[in-house]
Amino acid sequence: MANITFPFPFPVILPVLPEIIVAVMAMVILIWDLFLPAERKQWTAYAAIATCLVAIDATLRTTGADAQMAFYGQFVLDPFAGFTKLLIIGATIYGIVLSLDYMKSEKNIGEYYSLMLFSMLGMMLMVSATNFIIMYLGLELMALCLYVLVGYQRDVLRSSEAALKYFILGSLASCMLLYGISFLYGLSGSLDFAAVGQALGSLGDNSSMAVSLGLVFIIAGMAFKVSLAPFHMWTPDAYEGAPTPITAFMGVAPKVAGFAILARVVIDALPSLQADYVTIFSWLAVLSMAVGNIAAIAQRNIKRMLAYSTIGHVGFILLGLIAGGPEGYSAMLVYLAVYLFMNMGAFAIIILMRREGIQGELLDDFAGMSKVRPGYALAMGLFMFSLAGIPFLGGFWAKYAVLIAAVHAGHLYLALIGILFSAVGAFYYIRVVKYIYFDEERVAFDFSENPLMQATVAVTAIVVVAIGIFPQPLMDICRAALGGIV
Amino acid sequence: MGELNNVLGFPILSLSIFLPLIGAAAIWLFVHNDQAVRWSALLVSVATFLVTLPLWFSFDTSTHHMQFEEFHPWIETFNINYQLGVDGISAPFILLTSLLTVICVISAWECIAKRIKEYMIAFLVLETTLIGVFAALDTILFYFFWEAMLIPMYLIIGIWGGKNRVYATVKFFLYTLTGSVLMLIALLAMYFEAGNTFSILALMDYPFSFAWQFWIFLAFLIAFAVKVPMWPVHTWLPDAHTEAPTAGSVILAGILLKMGAYGFLRFSLPMLPDASQYFVPLMVGLSLIAIVYISLVAMMQTDLKRLIAYSSIAHMGFVTLGTFMFTQQAVEGAIINMISHGFVAAALFLCVGVMYDRLHTREIGDYGGVVNVMPVFAAVMLLFCMANVALPGASSFIGEIMVLIGTFNAEPVHLGMSTKWVAIAAATSIVLSACYTLWMYKRVIMGDLTKDTVKSMPDMSVREFAYFVPLILLVVWMGLYPLPVLDVMHVSVTHLIEQATTSKDAVAQALAQGLPPTGMH
Repeated sequence: MANITFPFPFPVILPVLPEIIVAVMAMVILIWDLFLPAERKQWTAYAAIATCLVAIDATLRTTGADAQMAFYGQFVLDPFAGFTKLLIIGATIYGIVLSLDYMKSEKNIGEYYSLMLFSMLGMMLMVSATNFIIMYLGLELMALCLYVLVGYQRDVLRSSEAALKYFILGSLASCMLLYGISFLYGLSGSLDFAAVGQALGSLGDNSSMAVSLGLVFIIAGMAFKVSLAPFHMWTPDAYEGAPTPITAFMGVAPKVAGFAILARVVIDALPSLQADYVTIFSWLAVLSMAVGNIAAIAQRNIKRMLAYSTIGHVGFILLGLIAGGPEGYSAMLVYLAVYLFMNMGAFAIIILMRREGIQGELLDDFAGMSKVRPGYALAMGLFMFSLAGIPFLGGFWAKYAVLIAAVHAGHLYLALIGILFSAVGAFYYIRVVKYIYFDEERVAFDFSENPLMQATVAVTAIVVVAIGIFPQPLMDICRAALGGIV
Repeated sequence: MGELNNVLGFPILSLSIFLPLIGAAAIWLFVHNDQAVRWSALLVSVATFLVTLPLWFSFDTSTHHMQFEEFHPWIETFNINYQLGVDGISAPFILLTSLLTVICVISAWECIAKRIKEYMIAFLVLETTLIGVFAALDTILFYFFWEAMLIPMYLIIGIWGGKNRVYATVKFFLYTLTGSVLMLIALLAMYFEAGNTFSILALMDYPFSFAWQFWIFLAFLIAFAVKVPMWPVHTWLPDAHTEAPTAGSVILAGILLKMGAYGFLRFSLPMLPDASQYFVPLMVGLSLIAIVYISLVAMMQTDLKRLIAYSSIAHMGFVTLGTFMFTQQAVEGAIINMISHGFVAAALFLCVGVMYDRLHTREIGDYGGVVNVMPVFAAVMLLFCMANVALPGASSFIGEIMVLIGTFNAEPVHLGMSTKWVAIAAATSIVLSACYTLWMYKRVIMGDLTKDTVKSMPDMSVREFAYFVPLILLVVWMGLYPLPVLDVMHVSVTHLIEQATTSKDAVAQALAQGLPPTGMH
């Protein structure tokens, strides 16, 4: 048999295999949805979950200890990208499972799951980018899908309002990001992270206005995406208005992707500006921890409260990035991984809970839950204590790891401020426990009884406790995941 | 890590830590009948108590080294180890914990009407964390148990407490959490300064300079002072005690308060000797305020539990005073006082519980003439009231007299005045505690039967009497023959005082100047 020769070099596509699978399946589900009768639309959800599982398998199989490049070096699959992709896909699976009951009554649900897969695809692309354009592409794919998902419940005014706010502010942030990238391109003549890094390094003059503008705009754009204060304004509204499964999804997955690509950018493209970005990040971290933890106290709606709680947590995660080095970045990954589980667990309980057929979203709605459903109450208590950072739960080690890293890197004051605000934060988390355990039931509960969701809650609670008692394996994995970048 | 000193060759400490936890999990999963829950909780707590007994019978009183040691790497990334062991200071507290838990389980037998299963589980989990605190030899492991303890206690007060329970439990949680957070900062600071180690034993040997000791001591002080509690951070305790269910108060007074003082003995004194000496005036001042001022406050209480809560703070003032005198007698007296207070305060709260179960009021004014209807109970309560006053023959007498003598003979460097005056001021407590305790006894137990409600009170049941018996025996035994208890702690305390009076600052300065270290033992 004659050798087949292509008229052009065949591109390396193996490292992109997970992305290809997801892209194809997202389109298939979109079309398949058209042919499904209304009562079988739910099948698209299971197809989406299957896609995610196949994507996990493909990611595990293709990720090696060495970095593999594709598309002429614009795309990289290294352990760092592989690990963050697993987190992103995991968050997407959670998002889909949580949607099963919640979105049952929506029409054309197939496109909903398809949009989630596209959004996930954008994030997967993002964490593998070695080039500002690929990063921007991934970011926009993720964001555009999220805008639609936030406003998915068209007949709910709150949902539409949230989507519009998110869209306008998000577009502004994308503009800032692009504007910042254009400065760096002007200075270096390249969009490749490493090339930009080299060019900036050889400039020698960090105080140049163009460099500063580029740095500030890029950070501002990314800070918006991961909802760091003072770029957090959209977060509470979008969280409150979005369908709750989407709130859970966007509370975790885009944060993982955002921090992963931010780490890659600062390591590869901005190493010569370390002193500058550390200063900016430090202020963002302090502000986020302060705004998140203090404003959360005043919230009566649990989704809004968790929105502010997210802002506080991203402030903590940023400490890992500020600390840098293997210790700092692995601490950041540990935090992201633990945060994935505890946040998703909390949202799962919110979604499971209904009061007289209406989705309970106020803190008051939790009153007396422990008497009706001790199992759910226990799980929610564990998630809340974990978010508060009480030992023997995963959240403690996450906080611990970033704080240790920050102190080792010489940021003692940041660590102290972090500890202070985690004590403040404990107040509103234990308040939820107070409602669950101490208050009397006021309105009848009406729990959603989906076995898949119940199993998810149970597994999540076990994972949070297991990480709390044996954090070493997770820490080892996160350290190994840095193979490609530091 | 060299050879582990464990005479039994068996992880007895781990077993006593995790047996209650496993028992709690088993009850949660498999036991669904209320009566079965009570019996299985009793079974688990008694089994745990039996497991801890070798800490007494196989204890080697001739060494200050840790015993029954266990060591496993836990989180290698941060050099955190699962390291356990006890010496003469911590062993008695583990026994006290396992004993009081049994008593708590029995005392809750009938009076807890709602959700008995969760209640028993909470107590067993609490026991796990408390034994863990006293057995941990790794600071993070210590912190782990210290913090985890908050969760069951938060729930115990919040679910089964009195009317104002939510306010009390949130206050309790936030006070202790703030203190704990500062402790975590101090632990991390020591970790970084001492070259990445969390081992309590290694930290005891590391020469911290005075500047380090100063700040770490202050952070520890706040954490431990909240727990003890010392004036002025004591205000959570009366609320927590008043609102907690009886058994919650028993554990709170019997064990939780001891954790703060134990922290001073385990961390502040041996690790920060120079700062401990430096802060003697502050500690003595706060202790005297607790003894004198809080005793006066106790006198004016109209709520039985509040009165005993304030009395506890005053007695803990004796403990902190003795701790910071750096003499053998005073420190041993402080520890005896802690153990004795564990019996006496626990018993007094149980007494209040007995009365509360009958009349559902804690107001002193609602009682009167109880002796006429409950003679046995009146005798039991008299015994513990006398013990609270530190009458000779009761365990508390031994503790208080040792603290007073030790204080009288002490010569702390930094006090700037004779400790004789301190001892004299502290001795007023004997009068003051007699005032508030006996006056309370008179108003509640003595007098004529004038209230119809009191007339209907039945005397103690056998079950109620049963849980007083071990406490009575222990109080009298320690009051008449304290030698075995003193023997257990003697060598450890001698070693502790040697650590606390050897300056680390001198060593640190010598090291900083490149001189060979001297003065290390």
